Amino acid sequence: MRPWVLALVLLAAGTAPAQAAFDVAHLMRLLAESPSAQVPYVERKYSELLTGPVESSGTLVYRRPDIVEKNVTAPRPESYRIAGQELSVTRGGKERRIALASEPLLAAFAASLRGVLSGDAALLAHHYRLALAGTESDWKLEMTPLEDEVLRYVERIVVTGRAGRVAQIEVREASGDRSVLQVR
Amino acid sequence: MILDRALARYACALLLFAALALYGARILRIEADFSAFLPPSATPEERLLVAQLRDGLVTRLMLVALQGGDERTLAAASRKLAEGLARDPAFDYVANGSAGQFAAQADVLLRNRYVLSPEVTAQRFAAPALRAALEESLAQMATPAGLLTRATLARDPTGEFLATLRRLEPATAPAKREGVWFSADGKRAFLIAQTRAAGFDSLAQAAAMARVHAVLAQAAPQVQATLSGPGVFAAQSRESIRGDATRLGLISTGVILLLLAFVYRSPLAVALVLTPTAFGLLAGVLVVQWVFGSVHAITLGFAATLIGESVDYPSYILLNSLPGETARAAAGRVGRTLLLAVLTTVASALALTLSSFTGLAQLGVLTMVGVVVAGLVSQRLIPWLLGERVLEFPRVRMPSLAAFTGARAPRIVALMATFAAIAFLVATHPDWWERDLANISPVPAELRAQDLGLRREMGAPEVSVFLASRGPSEAAALEAAEAVVPVLENWRARGLIRDFDSPARYLPPPGTQAMRRSAIPEAPVLEASLRMALQGLAFRADAFAPFLKDAAAARDAPALTRAAYAGTPLGTKLNAQVLELDGQWLVLTSLGGVSDAARVRVALASLADARTRLVDLRQVSADMLDSFRREALRQAALGAVLIFVLLVAGLGSWRRAVKVSVPVAAALPITVALLVAMGQRIGVFHLVALLLVLGIGLNYALFFERPQADESEDERTRLAIALCATSTVVTFACLAWSATPVLRAIGGTVALGAVLSLVLAAFWARSHR
Repeated sequence: MRPWVLALVLLAAGTAPAQAAFDVAHLMRLLAESPSAQVPYVERKYSELLTGPVESSGTLVYRRPDIVEKNVTAPRPESYRIAGQELSVTRGGKERRIALASEPLLAAFAASLRGVLSGDAALLAHHYRLALAGTESDWKLEMTPLEDEVLRYVERIVVTGRAGRVAQIEVREASGDRSVLQVR
Repeated sequence: MILDRALARYACALLLFAALALYGARILRIEADFSAFLPPSATPEERLLVAQLRDGLVTRLMLVALQGGDERTLAAASRKLAEGLARDPAFDYVANGSAGQFAAQADVLLRNRYVLSPEVTAQRFAAPALRAALEESLAQMATPAGLLTRATLARDPTGEFLATLRRLEPATAPAKREGVWFSADGKRAFLIAQTRAAGFDSLAQAAAMARVHAVLAQAAPQVQATLSGPGVFAAQSRESIRGDATRLGLISTGVILLLLAFVYRSPLAVALVLTPTAFGLLAGVLVVQWVFGSVHAITLGFAATLIGESVDYPSYILLNSLPGETARAAAGRVGRTLLLAVLTTVASALALTLSSFTGLAQLGVLTMVGVVVAGLVSQRLIPWLLGERVLEFPRVRMPSLAAFTGARAPRIVALMATFAAIAFLVATHPDWWERDLANISPVPAELRAQDLGLRREMGAPEVSVFLASRGPSEAAALEAAEAVVPVLENWRARGLIRDFDSPARYLPPPGTQAMRRSAIPEAPVLEASLRMALQGLAFRADAFAPFLKDAAAARDAPALTRAAYAGTPLGTKLNAQVLELDGQWLVLTSLGGVSDAARVRVALASLADARTRLVDLRQVSADMLDSFRREALRQAALGAVLIFVLLVAGLGSWRRAVKVSVPVAAALPITVALLVAMGQRIGVFHLVALLLVLGIGLNYALFFERPQADESEDERTRLAIALCATSTVVTFACLAWSATPVLRAIGGTVALGAVLSLVLAAFWARSHR
């Protein structure tokens, strides 16, 4: 790990409440120990354009070490798969592949999912400022994008969970919209 | 007393020269626009080509490759560089592929999306189509992709803006990393900068390059930049020509001064030898300034080459003087031969004067005036300056060549070589003519190869094929261009072309704009349709108020014109692609990835739309060079006839005229054949050099052939010719080492031609006492 990454992580950990036992490093260890998983989810999108939240649902798949899939089943089937250095989007039976490195927004998004699910502090710290709150049994990790290119769209990503399990991912958009993904 | 008078004469000559030089410095206007060396263009296509070569968009593009860091460092450097240069007055714009760039241009496209989008029809705004669009938006909102469309969703629920952006996206673009253009391997970040200055403006281009390096040095000192493009070439070749010319000029001047010092052993004699050339060049420049209003920098460079012959004149006189003989007496003896030498050069320069290239015509006038003045100075001024003073110098012994030149065998060999050369040239004709105008550029081949590689990597291949749609007005020309867009889409689908870039897509003709505008329903109607479409959807009733506002505004908006794009990349592009030429308007649609221009031509002909024609710049440039070549050859033939007439009249004998002209007539084809055999293609520069060979070669033959009084005069002539030939070959062989193609072509041709002329003249033109 590069020294500055370490410093960032330590800094982020330092801002967490003074519960010496629970810091980002500790959380990452917990996350890293959790196995591959396939869980159903519900995602609600809140927007000032909408009368109420729009709901979508499907399954979230994580395969060690770095494959993440989001398979949307409703309202219409779509799938997003992050593997290696690529995102592949399948919609209407057509697959499109995009290099993660091509857009900072894409890279940051992929990193947030992969980093949290695999407990990769370095990857997260590369793209976000991290702030951890709560306890091991009920934690909240706030990730603020470092790059302007990402900040234009995403204000913050807040992940909450229990020990090595992620319970909810909330994305606050720069437009004021937010989406909340809950693992069931 | 005599010394005083001599001093007064030198002072007179110096004063005259100084006065002329001062006057010249005051009125002289040196021009660097290289199009003076392009042929005047007869057809509109040719004029287009010249205009494109002169200050077309392509010539103002600078490609920047950044290397020497990891992806993040390079991407950051790319952003900082683009930001820094965007504010720089030297650049119109700098693109690095990042999405946030060109907010002003995106704003124009967003505001005018309803006249830009071909999807805009009355049905587009009816309830069913709106309903479908809204359902799609809703579905998209829930997905990660919704993040990108969210910003414009309330204003543009039908997605015209993003569709317009997608349509304008080039089919091939560099790969992206960290949101900016990168090479496929991620080792280099790419930017495209468009300079405000024209590509040929080498000074401004050098300044622009310096700005890039300066901004980069401040933003990311560890990153190195490679720059390429026509403007960069102009600046670099200017540098390398200047560097070469200075370095090689110093070397050859040094060698020649040593040579003159060795032969004359007198500083005065050396100074005198250089006088005619100095006066000739000055007078020639002044006359060109009077006649043409300015002197082209290249003319100046070439002319210094062409009248290089005049350095020989005083040597022919001074070295011919007998011990104790004054220069005046010697000049009287060789005067007639010298006059012929001057007149034959004038005749060959006359051919240039008649050229339709302004640059070559200037060159012709400069050479004619320069040589005549140099001849006069040698023949009259130098003897007058020396007066009764006799220049004494040790006579360098020259071995007789009689044994060698009297023999029959060398002549037969030379004759056979000449015929072989002619046969070789005829057999390989016309492959050895330079047919690509781009290759005449003074840019070294390695640089052009580097540029080509960079362009390929960036997916920005050189555009050389496009459609020219014409009309009596801008609107009419745009309509003609718009009419072929569906055809081009079909061609693209069939693989005939890979891509096309039609201005009609971002500046639709006024008629089309009006039609699209009128397709937008009146506000109450649209509102009703929207209300109906929204029923049962999760959108709030007032969510799309911005859409209604924009649509109403678009209905009444003034037509989108070129002016709206001012200061944006598309604006610069429009200025280059929509142009007025001789009262006609032309719209250029560039075609990318044309695999077979002939097939495209056939496909275009089947359209039977006379408004649009295919322009293949490569073909046009080849045609242009062909016609230039024909003209040059016609003029050369005329010049040759004129020279022969002069020789017959001057020598008073057919036999002697033939004898003098045969060596050089043989030297020219052998020179060309050798150059071709060495893999060179013969272009304008070679032709200019061959004219000089003609002038020099004739001089050798003339002096060789001159009836000599005795063995001592014979030896003096040999010494004069040997000195002249050595200095010429040394000077031009130096140029042949240059990195600049122009200088190399001239240097190699003249050095080779001079040696051959000398040898052949020695074989054939010996006088028989």
